[in-house]
Amino acid sequence: MNNKKIITIILGFGIVSLFVVYKIYNKPHVNVSDVKSDIIITADKIIDDFSSDEMKANKSYLDKIIKISGVISELKVVKQKGIITLKTNHDFGSVLCHLSDKASRKMNSLKEEQTITLKGICTGFLLDVILVKCEIIN
Amino acid sequence: MKIIHTILMCFLFVNVSNSQERFLTKNGAITFFSSTIMADIKADNNQVLSIIDASNGKMAISILMKSFMFKKALMQEHFNENYVESDLFPKATFKGEILNFETLKDLETKLEVKGLITIHGKRKEIIIPASFTRSENTIFVKGEFNLLLSDYNIKIPNVVAKKISKEIKVSFEFNHKPYKK
Repeated sequence: MNNKKIITIILGFGIVSLFVVYKIYNKPHVNVSDVKSDIIITADKIIDDFSSDEMKANKSYLDKIIKISGVISELKVVKQKGIITLKTNHDFGSVLCHLSDKASRKMNSLKEEQTITLKGICTGFLLDVILVKCEIIN
Repeated sequence: MKIIHTILMCFLFVNVSNSQERFLTKNGAITFFSSTIMADIKADNNQVLSIIDASNGKMAISILMKSFMFKKALMQEHFNENYVESDLFPKATFKGEILNFETLKDLETKLEVKGLITIHGKRKEIIIPASFTRSENTIFVKGEFNLLLSDYNIKIPNVVAKKISKEIKVSFEFNHKPYKK
């Protein structure tokens, strides 16, 4: 009787921990559209911050969910994925927003020179500030 | 006659300076694979910056480590936090020269790119074979090569050592366009 109890407890424990490990291993990616944005900013401000002090900007923006607004300067589709370039007041750098699969399908409704708000994850600064997994807010 | 000559020279000069243009892509693709009996791991980065100076065959590439997208969120987290430490080393770079660049015509040509690659703060000299195709307004580059994690001081903990290959296959595809602005 006592033995049975112990075995049941151990088994139960084992099943629960297996389940937890499985859940952690398969934890989903952040769903940008469901999560509240960490930072709300304009295209001009974010490029200013990155070009004046990249190290500092990396600390404040990388991996963050950013809601960004600006004017579209270029719309492009590469490998079925939409890329929106936002204008800035800098000569070279702009903000490149790589759209999610879902948002890429809504590209047709957009026009150049249009003001737009997007939400995405910042991965860093090369010539431009780069945001990935972007969703179109409006 | 002299005027015509001058005008002709002007045109020539304009053409020459045009052909010295820089070619660039802001959405180059790099994919890496690690393949072991236990697991296949793959990550894509479609935000690679690559620049070719067509006047001398110099090539420069910048890669954001956080732009590598994995299928599993946990793997992406481990990659960034534990293996390449992308908060400390947010970029990988390559600077080098395309050997025999002047032989490149519009046909697909196999060339080698020689230069310095920096990953995880470790710099190493490398020669990468790649196939190049040049047309009037594109330089298309494609290829693959292998990297040893130990060369870049990337340590994999014993627990997962069987799931991650010590040698990583990297493939790349850049479609450079003339740089305007």
